[in-house]
Amino acid sequence: MSSTADSAIATRALTKRYRDVLAVDALNLDVRRGEIYGFLGRNGAGKTTTIRMLLGLIRPTGGEVTVLGQRIGPGETSVFQRIGYLVETATAYPNLTVRENLDIQRRLTGAPTSAIAETIALLRLEPYTDRRAGQLSLGNKQRLALARALLHKPDLLVLDEPANALDPAGIVEVRELLRSLADEGGVTVFMSSHILAEVAHLADRIGIVHDGRLIEESSREDLASKARAFSSEAFSEQERSDAMLTMELERYFLARTGDRAGGGDE
Amino acid sequence: MFIRVLTTEFMKLRRSMVPWGTLAGLSMAPLGLALFMWIVREPGRAAQLGLLGTKANLSGLEATGPSYLSTLTIVFGVGGMLLLPFIVAYVFGREYTELTAKNMLALPVGRHWFVFAKLVVAAVWWFALVIAVLAESLVIGLLLGLPGFSAQVAVTAAGNSLVAAGISFLLVPVVAWVTVATRGYMAPLAFAIAGMALGNVFGKTGWAEYFPWSIVPLMIGMVGTPQSLPAGSYVVLGLTFVVGVAATIAQLRFADNAQ
Repeated sequence: MSSTADSAIATRALTKRYRDVLAVDALNLDVRRGEIYGFLGRNGAGKTTTIRMLLGLIRPTGGEVTVLGQRIGPGETSVFQRIGYLVETATAYPNLTVRENLDIQRRLTGAPTSAIAETIALLRLEPYTDRRAGQLSLGNKQRLALARALLHKPDLLVLDEPANALDPAGIVEVRELLRSLADEGGVTVFMSSHILAEVAHLADRIGIVHDGRLIEESSREDLASKARAFSSEAFSEQERSDAMLTMELERYFLARTGDRAGGGDE
Repeated sequence: MFIRVLTTEFMKLRRSMVPWGTLAGLSMAPLGLALFMWIVREPGRAAQLGLLGTKANLSGLEATGPSYLSTLTIVFGVGGMLLLPFIVAYVFGREYTELTAKNMLALPVGRHWFVFAKLVVAAVWWFALVIAVLAESLVIGLLLGLPGFSAQVAVTAAGNSLVAAGISFLLVPVVAWVTVATRGYMAPLAFAIAGMALGNVFGKTGWAEYFPWSIVPLMIGMVGTPQSLPAGSYVVLGLTFVVGVAATIAQLRFADNAQ
């Protein structure tokens, strides 16, 4: 267990039960400050439920959550000044423009007015600044949700499937953004995904959750070696070659389209 | 903090068509009432035009200023029991239907501020509607030239309408609680309709003065003749308001807020 000063997120025996369904089962997590932690699991593994408990949106049935040294419980609000988050689907007030949606976030977090333009530029949302959120493409809604999370320059980012709806170029862009926030800004990133490739490219450490339990936790390098060993044992040369070709095709596609940010809009 | 939250709650209404829709809906009421008055006053011409002269006469309406204005009080009372819950359901419920509640509830802002701010938004919205439609009603009343339409009668009716609208507002925190507990629009609207139906049923019993949802119908004359309320009725309304606000805050603070 890391000390409180080093710990960004700590859960102890965190449990959530919905009647007969045990969504999260005695989960112990330790996320260190400044690292990118990939929280990997299939759909329904308990990732979003865990994230909701980290943010105080739902109450644990058992156990406890400490975020940035503060116990999360009813009435706790001050710590959220230091947390940016994106939970599940990217949502915004559809009748308001991108700028107005961010202005609401700015007022409620006490961020300076200049933060709106900075964040819009960071997420490459300039062409859509005065467009209503309801008229944005899914990819740009996701960018707006990420902008919301980043607006007040948080110390901790809790991102639930941040690459959802982004095209390959957008995924790479967000990946680079998160990497630079962690490396240059010392921001801790806790991100969930059900796609290993997404977290493998970015995370310093990866926790795999299954049926609400943490079944494995490794550094990216350790997980990569385990995956290589497993792959050479379980797959033929041809299958591995096909996988390599898929990756090369994706890179070629990115190289050809990398200057484009986001998808078209409705 | 409250002012900041209140500002953002008003910002959320920008470009929304819903406030205009409620204005359009409520402003139809005096027009409809004026039409009935005209039919009652001129049944021959109304019959020639194929309008409902006989039914209007059967409704017991009199084409007089006092009758027009007292019926208006009923309109605002009914509006307060149906349209106002709709406004409250929209203000609270849109966070769930637009999936923005999760964005709102993990901010460095006490959740009770959102409840207070949303209730203030609903109050401003509702009273703006009432004042606008009241002004419209008085202009229509003047244009109709109904007998007995005097400034004194108009002022009394306007006062009664504002009191009915205000009393109705004391009931809506319970609607806000139903909205956040069920995370949508349908249950609070069903609750409002059920409240009004029960209010009418209880309005005919000896408990009418102490059952929150029958107090407004009793006061505006929806059940029997309009009557002034005993102090106990105001205590009941005040308690209903406090319990509704407390339940809404507790729901947001202690219950799971999954969408």
